[in-house]
Amino acid sequence: MPKFTLNGQEVEAKAGQTIIQAAGDHGIEIPHYCYHPDLPIDGNCRMCLVDVEKMPKLTPACTTIVNEGMVVRSDNPRVKEAVRGVLEFLLINHPVDCPVCDQAGECRLQDYYMVYGLHTSEIPLGMKVRKRKVIDLGPMVVLDQERCVLCSRCIRFFDNVTGTGEMQFFGRGDHVAIGTFEDRPLDNPYSGNVVDICPVGALTSRDFRFKCRVWFLHATNSICAGCSTGCATRIDHRDGAIFRMIARRNPEVNRSWLCDEGRLSFHELTRSERVIQPSIKGSDGVQTPITWEDALQSVDQRLKQIRDANGGSSILGFGSPSATNEGLFLFKRYLTEQLGATQFEFRIDSEDKKVLDEEDQILRHFDKHPNSMGAIKLGLISDDLDGIDGAIRAARDGRIKAAVIIYFNPLVRRPSDDEAEGRIIELIDELKYSVVLAAHKADWHASADVVLPVTAWSEEEGTYTNFEGRVQFAAKAIESAGDALPIWEVFAMLIHASGAESRWMSAENVFATMTERSQPYSRITFEQTQLPGVVLASS
Amino acid sequence: MKRAAKVINVRDQAEKESSFAKDVLGPLVGMGLTINRMVDNLTGKVNATIRYPEERRAYSGRLRGAHILTAREDGSPRCVACYMCATACPADCIYIEPAEHPDPLIEKYPARFDIDMLRCVFCGFCVDACPEEAIIMSRETELGAYTRAETMWDIKRLMSRPELPEFGLGYRPNEKLVDSTIKFVPKNKEKKRLAGRVTLKEDVEMIAHVTFDPTKD
Repeated sequence: MPKFTLNGQEVEAKAGQTIIQAAGDHGIEIPHYCYHPDLPIDGNCRMCLVDVEKMPKLTPACTTIVNEGMVVRSDNPRVKEAVRGVLEFLLINHPVDCPVCDQAGECRLQDYYMVYGLHTSEIPLGMKVRKRKVIDLGPMVVLDQERCVLCSRCIRFFDNVTGTGEMQFFGRGDHVAIGTFEDRPLDNPYSGNVVDICPVGALTSRDFRFKCRVWFLHATNSICAGCSTGCATRIDHRDGAIFRMIARRNPEVNRSWLCDEGRLSFHELTRSERVIQPSIKGSDGVQTPITWEDALQSVDQRLKQIRDANGGSSILGFGSPSATNEGLFLFKRYLTEQLGATQFEFRIDSEDKKVLDEEDQILRHFDKHPNSMGAIKLGLISDDLDGIDGAIRAARDGRIKAAVIIYFNPLVRRPSDDEAEGRIIELIDELKYSVVLAAHKADWHASADVVLPVTAWSEEEGTYTNFEGRVQFAAKAIESAGDALPIWEVFAMLIHASGAESRWMSAENVFATMTERSQPYSRITFEQTQLPGVVLASS
Repeated sequence: MKRAAKVINVRDQAEKESSFAKDVLGPLVGMGLTINRMVDNLTGKVNATIRYPEERRAYSGRLRGAHILTAREDGSPRCVACYMCATACPADCIYIEPAEHPDPLIEKYPARFDIDMLRCVFCGFCVDACPEEAIIMSRETELGAYTRAETMWDIKRLMSRPELPEFGLGYRPNEKLVDSTIKFVPKNKEKKRLAGRVTLKEDVEMIAHVTFDPTKD
């Protein structure tokens, strides 16, 4: 643990840390373009120059490893003058097209110019070296060579993270530009990350292009619901609409990356119509809207009638691996404690096996649900039934009469998902009574007895358990459509409707009860579910 | 050190300085001025009342009236949909929808650009914020309409301004640049004679040019 002096303050660094990392740990930001915590160090941008005592020249902070007794200054006039000079060089051929650049507002060139630059450019616009603009690099990325500061973050990303090596420098001198060979599109499943890591406006998102200026957006920390990896993300939204999702750094799970499918998964929320109010099937077989109170009373009464006639084991709880832990916990609690149900299941397509299957070596898993592991840990799994096929058989045999079904459209769709919906229709058709909790409308809702609107991912707060059993919190970003309620609230109201005590006011309250009542979650606290999350002890 | 305030007794002073010139001629001089005014008014030399709308006051060249979106040489909007005006707008009355421009050097243009004239407070912040001199103000202040929909000015209305010859250009920081792009024929000869006691430091003049109509290509 080397100790060194940083701007006159004695601080401690971890062994092997560079100056920029140690300074970052102590809250001092040294300006940089090419340095990125999850990429190999390159040291080409020269923005991070610092003054180290007894070194004759200024030295880059990103490549210099901290030694015992080093005396480093990042704030003296010598450093500031050098950084200003470097910035002036970087801006020599910059087109200054901030008005049309999507990066404006979160651009490192703008930020550092305001802090270190504030110089007048010696190069008039007409004398600048022009390069190519608006180059289409596939479905995720648009390249503008003029705005580039040649930090090579994107090149290093494709060389070291995905290993595909699509991007490279071309040309010499001040004509150097980044690009792909023959402008071939980036078609690897992680190409969207270069937009996040590009410190300037050279690589911008095709999907987010011109959608909204970034200073209008509100950021909410969330967890990607695209697969069982549980990558940390930030949802940027405005006026109740999500505009983009970008990666948030979680060194334990996704580092700084996010796959393209996950990045675009929020579009799925608005792709189909939403369920906006509870509806109940009348004697004529048509779904008619009804208030929440009446719907829940009716559901509670009918389920109790079926329990009294056929016993608790005739009621099936069919959960969803896309629901939050809190929702699934109260769902199970209502059915077991109020109705004596014993049968629980959530598997449509053997999610319990797929949850650990890696789709590639970087992030993605084959199971496209965020909380399959949570459903397993909460015991929504039955060896008897072994998935939806067993449930359909049991319903056909008459062992199961009624079911409460939670179903969410997967945010990352696979061809097999249509088949999964087909299996649910089969199950509903075999049942005497069925309650469906869903966020999006589907044709098959017509055959259910009651349809209740629930909030989808990003519209509710809650925790998700990823493939390795890491419990992570996702905050609420936008308001839900219509009268939709979070699943935990629906079941808290149902518990109340059936006459038991129900005092949960937030997902955090439910989480507290869950840590008391559910063994796998017993040793964790709500605070721990914030970044980087907490891994459940394996049982 | 305290200094005692000097006290002046006005009445004493008046009595002391009382004289024929002050008591008799003073009021007469004042009366003369009033009568002169009256004569000027009666003969029409100076008239505080103007016959609006046939007669109008000459407004300042920097008056902030209804907006104009300026055009490039080919008639397309200069605006690049950067949202600076919408960001600066305190009344939140500007709605922009950007689109991709086929020319990579322009890159972005507004597919929609609406100003809600009922919400607008005519502060001119949008004009100051614009990095492209794409939005300027005219001297048009008569914005009455029969329906709310008419007060929602879209990009076509903001660019082709048939009213321009009547009112002329208003606030525009970079006059040289803007005036070289906006061309129109003033309809009425601007009245140089100012009504009442309104005085303007600058001489108000119109620039005579070709009619400005971007829809004609």
